[in-house]
Amino acid sequence: MKRDGKPGNLIKRKYYMEGPIKKIMVYIDGTEESITAGQYAICLSKSAGAELSALYVINTRALNELLRARIFIKSEQEEYKNDLEKDADRYLKHIKALADEKAINVNLIKASGNIIAEIKKSVKELDIDLLVIGELSRIQSRLDELHNEVERAMRSVSCSVLIVKDQERVETLYESLK
Amino acid sequence: MELVELINENIVKIPLAGNSKDDILKELITVLKDAGYIDDVEETYRDVRKREDKGSTGLENGIAIPHAKTSTVKDMTLALGIKPSGVDFESLDGKPSKVFFLLLAPPDQAGPHIEALSEIARLSRSRYFLETLSNAKNPKEAVELFKS
Repeated sequence: MKRDGKPGNLIKRKYYMEGPIKKIMVYIDGTEESITAGQYAICLSKSAGAELSALYVINTRALNELLRARIFIKSEQEEYKNDLEKDADRYLKHIKALADEKAINVNLIKASGNIIAEIKKSVKELDIDLLVIGELSRIQSRLDELHNEVERAMRSVSCSVLIVKDQERVETLYESLK
Repeated sequence: MELVELINENIVKIPLAGNSKDDILKELITVLKDAGYIDDVEETYRDVRKREDKGSTGLENGIAIPHAKTSTVKDMTLALGIKPSGVDFESLDGKPSKVFFLLLAPPDQAGPHIEALSEIARLSRSRYFLETLSNAKNPKEAVELFKS
């Protein structure tokens, strides 16, 4: 490896050549914003040559809480759990189709439990170095700030996080990807 | 989708006029029709009543959360009604219900539906919030509470 005469460039160049992003994980929750994040993650994966994973978490913690609060009855909890399972399959399949279209491999992960814990767990287990998430809802009250689970995951996860914005621009970027 | 994104003055009714569970459900559904969120009042009522027949959604502390999956809405939809004098909603604690959140979601939106119900459940744990909400004089006051 050559030095170009500037202090510190040897290290910087080595880092660049290995690529700063090797493993990307996109969090999918069925919202349009998360699908846009999926498209952006596919573009990133292609340009960085990084491995791509897509995670969907079936929020069984929320289902259990609704049952405890007596808002759900038992049969309803089961019914919604089945709905969420189907949603998970449908949205992960959609991400796979989007990735296939651009010849990118994607590792699909369907988890159940607490959203924050499952995101953190997957980041750690898969040694993810970039978590990609969709645009967050605008904070409109103190309660939003306290309870938005994806936002809390973003704050507590160990890797870098990228929030994808501007759906139209991402669509164009994705469509133009060869 | 956050609850605060669903709420606006057009879908809040204070005070509700109904004096029975059926009256209240129909009144809240009519609020949604008048606000342009649904067309078919009868089918919506059937879907809400079907869920209610499996077990009352009247909880403790004066709150009721009737909800249903229904194809009469394209997106998740909320109506909020307040009846300061309360009405018998077959609640868990046997006390009259005063604050009613009607939440409707299309059958393919289980995730957002669960999130919104969870958010209402969290709010319902705050007696202060419920008391303040049940004392709201008009829709504007009620909506402001969600944004504070």
